[in-house]
Amino acid sequence: MDSLYLAWRYLAFNKLRTATLVICVTLIAILPLALQVLLAESERQLLARAGSTPLLLGARGSALDLAMNALYFADETPELISMAADEAIATSGLAMPIPLYVRFQARRFPIVGTTLDYFGFRGLRIAQGRQLALLGECVIGADVAERLGIGVGDSLLSSPEALFDLAGVYPLKMQVVGVLARAHSADDRAVFVDLKTAWVVQGLVHGHEDVTRGEDSSVIIDRTQDNVVASARLVEYTEITADNIDSFHFHGSPDSYPLSAMIVVPNDDKAGTLLRGRYLGSEPPYQLAVPKTVIEGLLATIFRIKEVLDAVILIVAVATVLALVLVFALSLRLRQREIQTVFHIGGSRSTIARLLAAEIVIILLAAALLCALGITVMQPFSDELVRVLFIA
Amino acid sequence: MIRIETLTFSYPGAEFTLNVPDFRIEPQEKVAVIGPSGSGKTTLLNLVAGILVPQQGRVLCADTEVSALDDPARRAFRISNIGFVFQDFELLDYLNVLDNIIHPYRISSALQLNVDVRTRASELARQMDIGDKLRRRVDHLSQGEKQRVAICRALLPQPDLVLADEATGNLDPRNKGQILGLLFDSVAAHGATLLAVTHDHELLPHFDRVVDFNDFRSDAP
Amino acid sequence: MRGKTRSAHCLQVLLVLGLMMTAPLLQAADRLVVYTVNYPLQYFAQRIAGDYAEVVFPAPADVDPAFWQPDAATIAAYQQADLVLLNGAGYAKWVGRVSLPRSRLVHTAAGLAADYIETTGTVTHSHGREGSHSHAGTAFTTWLDFRQAAVQANAIREAISRLRPQYADVFAANANALESDLLALDTRMQAIVSAAPDTPLLASHPVYQYLARRYDLNLEAVMWEPHTLPDAGQWLAFERLLKDHPAGWMLWEGDPLQESIDRLQQHGVQSIVFDPCGNAPGEGDFLEIMSTNLRRLDRVFRSNDSGGVFQQGIE
Repeated sequence: MDSLYLAWRYLAFNKLRTATLVICVTLIAILPLALQVLLAESERQLLARAGSTPLLLGARGSALDLAMNALYFADETPELISMAADEAIATSGLAMPIPLYVRFQARRFPIVGTTLDYFGFRGLRIAQGRQLALLGECVIGADVAERLGIGVGDSLLSSPEALFDLAGVYPLKMQVVGVLARAHSADDRAVFVDLKTAWVVQGLVHGHEDVTRGEDSSVIIDRTQDNVVASARLVEYTEITADNIDSFHFHGSPDSYPLSAMIVVPNDDKAGTLLRGRYLGSEPPYQLAVPKTVIEGLLATIFRIKEVLDAVILIVAVATVLALVLVFALSLRLRQREIQTVFHIGGSRSTIARLLAAEIVIILLAAALLCALGITVMQPFSDELVRVLFIA
Repeated sequence: MIRIETLTFSYPGAEFTLNVPDFRIEPQEKVAVIGPSGSGKTTLLNLVAGILVPQQGRVLCADTEVSALDDPARRAFRISNIGFVFQDFELLDYLNVLDNIIHPYRISSALQLNVDVRTRASELARQMDIGDKLRRRVDHLSQGEKQRVAICRALLPQPDLVLADEATGNLDPRNKGQILGLLFDSVAAHGATLLAVTHDHELLPHFDRVVDFNDFRSDAP
Repeated sequence: MRGKTRSAHCLQVLLVLGLMMTAPLLQAADRLVVYTVNYPLQYFAQRIAGDYAEVVFPAPADVDPAFWQPDAATIAAYQQADLVLLNGAGYAKWVGRVSLPRSRLVHTAAGLAADYIETTGTVTHSHGREGSHSHAGTAFTTWLDFRQAAVQANAIREAISRLRPQYADVFAANANALESDLLALDTRMQAIVSAAPDTPLLASHPVYQYLARRYDLNLEAVMWEPHTLPDAGQWLAFERLLKDHPAGWMLWEGDPLQESIDRLQQHGVQSIVFDPCGNAPGEGDFLEIMSTNLRRLDRVFRSNDSGGVFQQGIE
């Protein structure tokens, strides 16, 4: 106890040195721990989301891109499929399809075009306002509302796909009609719209004045008995209102309209197996992926990388320990007078050794405390950190 | 109290050799040792304290042949029976006055720190007129106050022998007399023997005996 | 012993009474909520489901359901329903502009998609010479072909039975009865027309395409409204049509203006109301309205010349 007291007094007197040592040790200890916490949380989040999604249908290609876009609304849009795939699942009688079109953004938040079935499937609840009803409306996640400071009654503009795409579609001004309760998932940072509204954002569905009855010849290239060809001068509505909603219409066959992915919810295990069998061959241009398997593969890769990181951290830790040993050795030199006093008074080498050991113990305890504190403080924010650092 | 018999000591690799044929100090005697720098005065104190061991001869302190003890025994003997007062005080800046005074009790298992010791430390400090500064850090004290702390530290274990190596060397003239007076009073109050090394000839009359180091043969550079 | 028997009796009576009182409550909790986009589907669904479903068609009585736009509250009610019955063939344009839970939608005419009738006279548009066309019109009064109506009714039966399989037998029995009624209408209609096939007829509005196809009616349509007097241009077009299609009768969706009737009579054309019954009738039900329609048509085909007289109101 006397050694601890003397060590404590010495460390308290040399605050800067002590703080530096404690911080060094804390950092070396907390890095692998924090990494472990974050990886555990990312594993939990990724697997929870993937595990609750039975099947994903998408274009053949990277199953990981498909899963990341469909489950976590990652920026990379996989190759697109069409509504025909959705119709095929719906008419099979084996599963419920939930189409997704995740391609566009609104102020850096993903716009998720889907159907109302998605909300029931994910257990999402409206906290403010109401559910989607009309074309052009959106329901936003809790994070979107918080970060943009918007709520029910406000509007949100879709972002152009390319910054200087002058020939691209105009941004759509969407009306916020609802805010979702916090779901602690990727849904918190999504802007949900009806699938048809997502097609409006793309320009596949649009509204404009009726050119078949219009008098303005500058917007008409050609007119026959059956068809009027409109020019690019025809202005399309960039906001859907009660006055112009009736003018919004489709061009082309709805079966050809694009989707980025589809959640497939089989009626039962047998139905799921049958469906997977249908899409196993190379003939269908689609793949039916099991998200849990895809994400487990991703996690295996992450953990292999983690092992490498652990080795690197270990090397850094060894270097740090050596540096700390050097610091202590140098400090012994600086404390030669104190040591000599101890010897003169009647202390021994073991007295000095005990003093040093006590200092090391206190530093380690302080670092351990800071570590524990840091991990405890980090824990409640780990889900948010994982989303920001790894998934978003 | 102290008896040195036919002592020879030299540092390894050095040309300096200290020869002390016969030297005695009686109990409760206050003896001053004078001599030129490098003549071995501090070495003598270290030999008496058992910090150094002579190559030849004996050092006896209160009937204990200190020179014959092993290192742990010499340290235990030293901390329990000998108080050291240094020229540059050798206090620990990171401890307060009280902690410096009781420092010997924290670094050796030969001494037991308890309430009685703390009480005596406080009383010693009060006698030295630093009783109101117990909680103050020593680097906030004046030179004279620091030496008082050092004297308290030396006397707290109630040693039979006090060794003072240029105890007033770093003090101003006004403090020198004060400190020396306090040292003499404390030593007398504890019934201890004092062996002091000093350059200051003005202080010599206060001692019972003055030993000139030139009386001891040494081959100093 | 007697006392014990009496107590047991009392308990049994109480139990039965309790069950009788809670049965309606249990049934109420078990009742499906079904929303439809027009009256015929509501009629079919209610006949099939009986007390096991509350079937709602919320459009106001004075609107054409094909062009009605429900408000947000009504859309929310549709979203909460256990089933939403859609007609198909482009009926209820509002469905394409709102969000409904896809898993609970029933496209009652999905099995008839290959037989939809594309309407003529619709002008489409495209954007740029290479752009795809907007959709041409599709005739949507599918139920006026009573055989198609039976197909739609069967789709309703299947959907309701999937949600309440324990009552599938009840639904099947009810659906069979409805089908019998619809096929009886079909048979009767065929018999009516066979009395004078190829009789030229006019329609005030193009809403009888499936009726005309199924029963081989020689029918041409103009674009008139019952409550609006046709303008000069419309009369001119009518007269040109009458030259090539000398019809003696015009079918109206609803009661026309007397002035329209009189002017038509001047052209030798009589008027009858053939109510498509897209919305709920003020009196009677779908079957009664169709029976009335058929009675009126019967008079048309029996009177081979223009000697028949229109009588206002439903007989």
